[in-house]
Amino acid sequence: MRSKGLSIEIICAGIGGRGVLLASTLLIDSAVRKNVYAIGSDEYGMSQRGGSVISQVKIGNVKSPIVGKGRADILLGFEESEFLRNVSYLKKKGIGIVNTNKSEIDRKVTDALKERSVRLYLLDADEIARREGLFLASNMAVLGFLSSLGIEPLTYENLKEAIIYRLQGKMLEGNLKVFENGYRKGLEILK
Amino acid sequence: MNELMIGNYAIARGFVEAGLEIAAAYPGTPSSEILPGIVEFSKRENAEIHCEWSVNERVAYEVAYGAALYGKKAACMMKQVGLNVAFPAFYNFKHHEIKGSFVIVSCDDPGPQSSQTEQDTRMLCTFMDVTCFDPSSPKEAADVAYFALRLSFETKRPIVIRPTHRVSHSREAVPLYRPGKRRVRLKEGLISKGKTAKLGIVASGMSFSVAIDVLTELNLIRMIPVYKVLRVHPLDTKVKEFAQSLQKVLILEETDAVIEAKLNDSKRVYGRLNGFLSGAGELTYDVIKEAITSLCRDSGIEVQNEIDYALEDLSKTINIVPRPPKLCSGCPHRACFYAMREAFPEAIFPGDIGCYTLGIPLGAVDTVVDMGGSVSLASGFYNVFSKENRNIPILASLGDSTFFHACLPAIYDARKKNKKFILVILDNGTTAMTGMQPTPQTGITAKGEKSRSISIEATLRALGIENIRIVDPYDIPFVINTIKEAHHHLQKGEGPFAIISRRECLLLSKRRFEVKIDLEEVCTGCKRCIRYFDCPSLEFDEKEKKVKINRDLCVQCGNCLYVCPAKRKRLDSL
Repeated sequence: MRSKGLSIEIICAGIGGRGVLLASTLLIDSAVRKNVYAIGSDEYGMSQRGGSVISQVKIGNVKSPIVGKGRADILLGFEESEFLRNVSYLKKKGIGIVNTNKSEIDRKVTDALKERSVRLYLLDADEIARREGLFLASNMAVLGFLSSLGIEPLTYENLKEAIIYRLQGKMLEGNLKVFENGYRKGLEILK
Repeated sequence: MNELMIGNYAIARGFVEAGLEIAAAYPGTPSSEILPGIVEFSKRENAEIHCEWSVNERVAYEVAYGAALYGKKAACMMKQVGLNVAFPAFYNFKHHEIKGSFVIVSCDDPGPQSSQTEQDTRMLCTFMDVTCFDPSSPKEAADVAYFALRLSFETKRPIVIRPTHRVSHSREAVPLYRPGKRRVRLKEGLISKGKTAKLGIVASGMSFSVAIDVLTELNLIRMIPVYKVLRVHPLDTKVKEFAQSLQKVLILEETDAVIEAKLNDSKRVYGRLNGFLSGAGELTYDVIKEAITSLCRDSGIEVQNEIDYALEDLSKTINIVPRPPKLCSGCPHRACFYAMREAFPEAIFPGDIGCYTLGIPLGAVDTVVDMGGSVSLASGFYNVFSKENRNIPILASLGDSTFFHACLPAIYDARKKNKKFILVILDNGTTAMTGMQPTPQTGITAKGEKSRSISIEATLRALGIENIRIVDPYDIPFVINTIKEAHHHLQKGEGPFAIISRRECLLLSKRRFEVKIDLEEVCTGCKRCIRYFDCPSLEFDEKEKKVKINRDLCVQCGNCLYVCPAKRKRLDSL
């Protein structure tokens, strides 16, 4: 079930114990459920102890889950410093989404990304999650925002379906709300 | 039907479909999820599979081996350094005939990501002449598990599966079959033909999958032939024939040079042994890409590879918060380590392997060798210090799972020889580092059923330890006093002296507390809490020169109040 032509490489970068692995699983889910091949590689071990965690996801005509430097179409920074740490994975014309409460991140990085025509979005995902009383759900806000960009197969509908498939009960309710608020925020910014 | 799962679950699935009857394991990253996977799939398939967490890898090995000797289909699971613990059994019975089938899964950790060392299980299999498979993806790992359990039954020999963490922890859709009906597709041999005879690749495991992606990116997939090795030992003679048909051969394998050494052809073979690739570490996408590019250029094969290093160089120049792993907010171990260091800053602290290895940044762990090493090393230190007439306190720390895993003979030995040191057992009621597996004390089986609980203090007493204190690590002054008393006692009484620091793991209990944390109000910017307590909830605001509490992470245990000089003064005067 290799999907000829299509290939999306994503890096999910964050801190251990805060939903990086769940986010990457949802990305894979949303592809696989649409019959698009996807594979991901998680790093854990000490990941629940607040260390840096990255999860790599590749979708489409690929064999391995490993992403090279300068090869990621999308870099999801679930935390600002983890975004900066992994910024070299981003390819030219890629997309970067950063969870931060600042209105701008390191100037040198921003300039370098602009030079490479990277689309960079800053999003206070923590705040969006906190508003629902779910600090740990900022990953959902980031995914919601990503879904507003309408990249197949990582669309709003597909990701939402994946969340409903993966989560249950109260967890589902709250997470879905945060996801939708992230999505709406995306639509606002993109207007 | 497909299901999204990690490689470890895929291995479990393969085993269950192949009719596994007995499974035993000791948890260790990257192998820990295989046994829970077997438990889950056995329930779903209504299969009677005996599953158990063993006290250590050797026991797991022998339990499975015993069942296999009798005629059952058995498997044991561990991480690469766990196989060292099972080594006597592995070594002694490698060529004994079994009646059933016996598969050993030993997960390697290139990098290493969550181990002290890299170690290549394939090397050990080669050395001991045991058949060994090196799967390249979760899907293949499921097929290999199914195939190996059946092959072992036919050949009457043990078989090893060696996945690396990139296989164990990769996630992809894996096809499910009814038990006994799996359509196994094992791929080995010339996978991708290629036009040139100038350069070819031999690759196994995850390195094979990465090599295919790199060749696709570089537009070389039809140019360079690729030979995939799945069974590393015994190695098919065709690999040698393939290598001999080429001018240059690049060997991509993790972690040691096993295939490369077998090819024994230093003229045309490029790999880790001849120094072309680094002798250690993961073969990342970039390492493989550079290796292929450079050999192509040497061989006159045209290749487009413009690497943009500017972003990487840039990210090195900016200020990024370092994020080493830390004990969780409110972790009882942190409080105990703090007390240990406070009681005797000049002590020597032999440590052990688990979450509590993270006592290193707290200055309460000096040595980490292997599981159980804390106790025997403490014994060794005592010998030296007492001979030199130096009264240096020795505070050895270990966890509850490690206590049962590897420490009992060492403790008994230390008691018999009256070694005077303090043994601090950090008991949080679970095997926390590897994902909350039960310990013998927990009294729960791998399937979640109730079983007999073995008490740490009763075991200590049976080993001859008379001096045992149980403390709540959250009562830091009390712990400090107890440690001081223990040291005092050891001057006259017998050793070792055991202190059990007991409080549940917060990851497991998810508890929060209600102590008022008002450090921000009294903070003078001395940073003592940051330096000696290292809690993830404490952040230092460089602009305001004050500590800030991350309220989202803080569990309000209040332990940091003991650490703050301004606060402690007030506490002392109460």
